[in-house]
Amino acid sequence: MTDAIDRAAGLAPGDALHALRRLRPEFVDGAELCRVSVLTPASDQGLSPDLRAALARRMALQNADPSLADPYGGADPELRRLAEGETDLPEPLASIAAHVDLVTQTPAKAAAESLRRLERAGLTNPQIVALSELIAYVNFQARIAAGLRLMKEAR
Amino acid sequence: MIASVTLKPLVWHPHIAPVELPDATPEQLEAMKVTPSAKKVSAYVRTLAHDPESYVARTVLFNAIMYAEGGLPRPDRELGALGASVVNGCAYCAVIHGRQHAHLTQSTSLVSAVYLRRLDLLSPRDAAIFAFARRLSVTPSEATTEDIVALRAVGLDDAEILDLIHAIAIFGWANRLMHVLGHAEPQKPAAQPRRTP
Repeated sequence: MTDAIDRAAGLAPGDALHALRRLRPEFVDGAELCRVSVLTPASDQGLSPDLRAALARRMALQNADPSLADPYGGADPELRRLAEGETDLPEPLASIAAHVDLVTQTPAKAAAESLRRLERAGLTNPQIVALSELIAYVNFQARIAAGLRLMKEAR
Repeated sequence: MIASVTLKPLVWHPHIAPVELPDATPEQLEAMKVTPSAKKVSAYVRTLAHDPESYVARTVLFNAIMYAEGGLPRPDRELGALGASVVNGCAYCAVIHGRQHAHLTQSTSLVSAVYLRRLDLLSPRDAAIFAFARRLSVTPSEATTEDIVALRAVGLDDAEILDLIHAIAIFGWANRLMHVLGHAEPQKPAAQPRRTP
């Protein structure tokens, strides 16, 4: 059995690193539960799974991790442009995209004003927190996958 | 010999209004119980409780990564957390995990070297871990196979390297919450003497 991180890192059952990951089942299961909680949560706070998937791809591409970035499969042309990294977008997508880009690429530069912009675009506090967790998760997963690929290459 | 740095915990203030306990939904109340210290509910936990589902899932994973038995020694996990927090600009996390490192090793020499920018004073083992933590934390990652080779050369086995990757990555997560959703200040700001012209 493989999960999203195995697929991103190019691991298959039988690989030494696939087996090594399973020595810490709480890491493997925990990461998968987190992935569900930010991409397809039971309560999505009004941020649709489609929007979340598009943002996840956008951030994976910024992490130079196309293997992690499932192509956006939805029908919405604006979300497709969002997923592919475009910045010329309608609100609230433009503000969400600007925030996602800032926090993914240069989190040190985030400030209160970053959240004020999301509020002006109409996001509620639960949506701001849910968006933050999604951003943070994708950046977590990208680092696990990048680290595993390096371990594989350095054998 | 360099000066010894004593880190004092910072106070975190959210940029958005946290959940107030009287207004919390049953799911939010349940989520907030998952914290390691349930005595009082911090502003940080109450802020994240706006989205209880992700909060619960992340807390479980965070505790597993930072406190799991065996594998990479805990001070090394704290060093990975420190390296990530420096790159991601999370002063609050950097202080907390610098202090944890000093506590676990009973020595402030590493955090002093980091805060005084004297990385040349780190042991080869600490230097390899800290350099990898910083490079893996950049977007996109700047870590290379040379980092892995360096970690093996200072004695880390693959299970320990994988633990380290998780510790660094979970701070790529935690820093993006803590530094983005609020800001940190010294506990008791010292009164600045006013200069009159």
